Amino acid sequence: MITEYRTFLNPKKVYIPLTDIDSKIANVSVEEGDRVLVGQIVAYKFKGKDKTPVLSTVSGTVVGFVEKLDRYAKIVDHIIIENDLLMETIELTNYKDKLAVSQDRNFIHNVTTYSENISTAQVRTALKGLGIQKVTVDGLFTDIKFKGQTEHIVVNAIFTNEPFISTDYEAIIHNAEAIADGICLLGIGAGAKTLTVIVDKYMPAEALDELGKAIVDKNIELISINVKIIKSWDYKIIQKLVKHNLSLNLLDDGVLYTSVHAALMVHDAIRKGIPVTSRQVAITGDGLKVNAVYDVRIGTLFSDLVEDLEGYHEVENMNLHIGSFLTGIQLDNDDFAITQSVDSINVSEYREVEEDVCIKCGDCNDICPAGILPQNIMDAELRSVNSRIVELDTHLCVECGLCTYVCPSKINVLEWVRRAKRRVG
Amino acid sequence: MEFITKKPPIVGNSQRTYKRSINLHFALLIVAIAAVILKAYTKVPETVTYTALDQSFKVFLMLAVGAFTSVVIELFYSLSEGSTKKFDSYKGFVDPINTGLIIALLLPTITPIYVLILAVIVGVYAGKLVFGGYGYYIFNPALVGVLFANLSFGSQLTVTNTPLMLLKRALGGETISFTNMTDLFVGNYDALAIGTTSVILLCVIFIYLLITRVIDIRTSGTFLLTVLIMSFGVGFINFYVEGNMSGVFDYVVINMITGFTLFAAVFLVSESVSSPTSRETKMIYAVVIATLMMLVRVLGSQPEGVVFAILFGNMITPFINRTVKRSDNKTLLKTSLILLFTVLFISISLGFILQSELIDIFASIGGALL
Ligand code: SF4
Ligand code: SF4
Repeated sequence: MITEYRTFLNPKKVYIPLTDIDSKIANVSVEEGDRVLVGQIVAYKFKGKDKTPVLSTVSGTVVGFVEKLDRYAKIVDHIIIENDLLMETIELTNYKDKLAVSQDRNFIHNVTTYSENISTAQVRTALKGLGIQKVTVDGLFTDIKFKGQTEHIVVNAIFTNEPFISTDYEAIIHNAEAIADGICLLGIGAGAKTLTVIVDKYMPAEALDELGKAIVDKNIELISINVKIIKSWDYKIIQKLVKHNLSLNLLDDGVLYTSVHAALMVHDAIRKGIPVTSRQVAITGDGLKVNAVYDVRIGTLFSDLVEDLEGYHEVENMNLHIGSFLTGIQLDNDDFAITQSVDSINVSEYREVEEDVCIKCGDCNDICPAGILPQNIMDAELRSVNSRIVELDTHLCVECGLCTYVCPSKINVLEWVRRAKRRVG
Repeated sequence: MEFITKKPPIVGNSQRTYKRSINLHFALLIVAIAAVILKAYTKVPETVTYTALDQSFKVFLMLAVGAFTSVVIELFYSLSEGSTKKFDSYKGFVDPINTGLIIALLLPTITPIYVLILAVIVGVYAGKLVFGGYGYYIFNPALVGVLFANLSFGSQLTVTNTPLMLLKRALGGETISFTNMTDLFVGNYDALAIGTTSVILLCVIFIYLLITRVIDIRTSGTFLLTVLIMSFGVGFINFYVEGNMSGVFDYVVINMITGFTLFAAVFLVSESVSSPTSRETKMIYAVVIATLMMLVRVLGSQPEGVVFAILFGNMITPFINRTVKRSDNKTLLKTSLILLFTVLFISISLGFILQSELIDIFASIGGALL
């Protein structure tokens, strides 16, 4: 259980990966020995022609480059910056003007009236310039990217990391206005038609009130769900918006799906000109002496955080898990740096649970949000019947992992579906 | 610090396969105990030499022998496979005992013990183990055993004057007075099988198993609903006397609560391994079984058709599975509507077939059209 709220904003050194899962080529623009400021571009990473800046999150000296493990379990180049604790920031443009709040409920349809204050292009440039791109990555979440026609912005105020479900409601209560503004800014950046916030039905009344007050007249729709029932709520909500089955990457459906924390970062970036230099990370698990929600400087090593948490319990066989349990990844080492895309880390004892045979109960078929039949796909994959795999619309799987979650035999159904997909791929 | 990168199983979901087996086990044990007790209170005919207590002991013996034989076969099989690790904990015994108990519960009190043993051997070995054991079989093993016993030793298993048989004779035109309804609900009457009589108990267990998700409402519920509609249809056409529904209700109630109907709904139809996997196919499956069962009951020579019906359902499960490709609301609605329509149609035609009026009706429709 999360018991504490902590900050860790002044690491001695930060390690910032120069590339990530998508942008695999980096072009460094500083040298060893250079002094850099907060928000200064230290490199550009490329995905084809798509160029994203890599920013320094502290002020200090570049002390070198090193190859190390990143949060995707890949070995990549990192830049090391020694923190001088001055937090000197580069000059940044910001768009301080408050959004003129229109009483016109149909504001979405005439985004132009808003452009007097800030234009779509300005939002995009600001977000790009400040390196806001990969804020939350696990599960259905998408990058913050405006590609093609993005018609819907969906923002999730629930942080689910089974078996822990927690959201830092304090953050929502204090920053409700900013979050709402961030959502609107995203809407402007995308030229979106609808804005939606998903909240927990049972979240503290105060947080709900504040959020409600903040989004009123902004034409943001609030949808509350019951997180106690494990179900693919977000899939269904988004499906209703786009009116067809979803793709693996929601951006292809014209949906930008992100978290309230990301909305807050967007607000900070555009209104205050603050680049993303820190983020909130929930660190949980029975392998750690203390569990906490951290406000942490991006680039901090996880091992430093563990030290701050008084270390590990002495357990053999531990799992280190980043992201949601349904879709995240395991790392074999704690020597990696926190990035924008790390929202939660869990360190727990590894408990083997024996897999039973499939009893054909059909629970996985019932839960699948894409409406396909994972058990039947698994069966077809076992028998290697390609035509059947195609017939069963295997490509509609969004890899949400719910089939694995519900299986009473603890079969990793998703893995079978993935294999089937690859077979007919 | 090093970590292992094997993906941990998701523990947040407490549903486990073995928990379901144990719940089923628990339910079966209760039914078994109840069967023993009920037999002690069932009136025996005055012409026989045995007492009710003898009968009760016989039931106990059957249940014990059934379970024991089943475990022994599985044990031998494991030995021949070279590993008995499965039997280290009680968990390993649960499934074999379940199969043994179901077979015993589905046979009548007069079953000779050697028939029971043979039935269990056939059911467990030919019905389950040759396919690879729990989770892999195609036919419900218990029913394979029961069918074997019924086919091979039919004459030794004959019970007369069960409510269903009386009902059949009533359909044939005789006037029959039924045992009183309380007896039917509590279950102390002589029936085709020892475990299938107590309606009240089976209803309670039905709810318990539904809650623990051992059985699926979409299979068992559809099954019961179909039997209800069909028996109402047939009953209405045959027993409706101007303004008096009581004959119809008797027919429906007896169809619902006697015979294997409830036992099948609780323990047999929803057996997950040998039934289809998505909600639409589960409904189709249940309707197929219920229809076949009613066909046998109404038209066939045997009083009870559920054993055969379920085995037939098992047989066409792969085919049913293939009929549905997706499982969204549209498919669900479509399937339900088609099924409802089919059930109504069949029940009405069954009723008329029974009255041999179908031909007249066709003739009159034809006449009207011309
Ligand atoms: S098959 Fe499994 S992972 Fe894929 S969409 Fe369905 S439930 Fe999710
Ligand atoms: S949930 Fe698991 S046991 Fe049930 S049908 Fe799916 S894979 Fe089989």
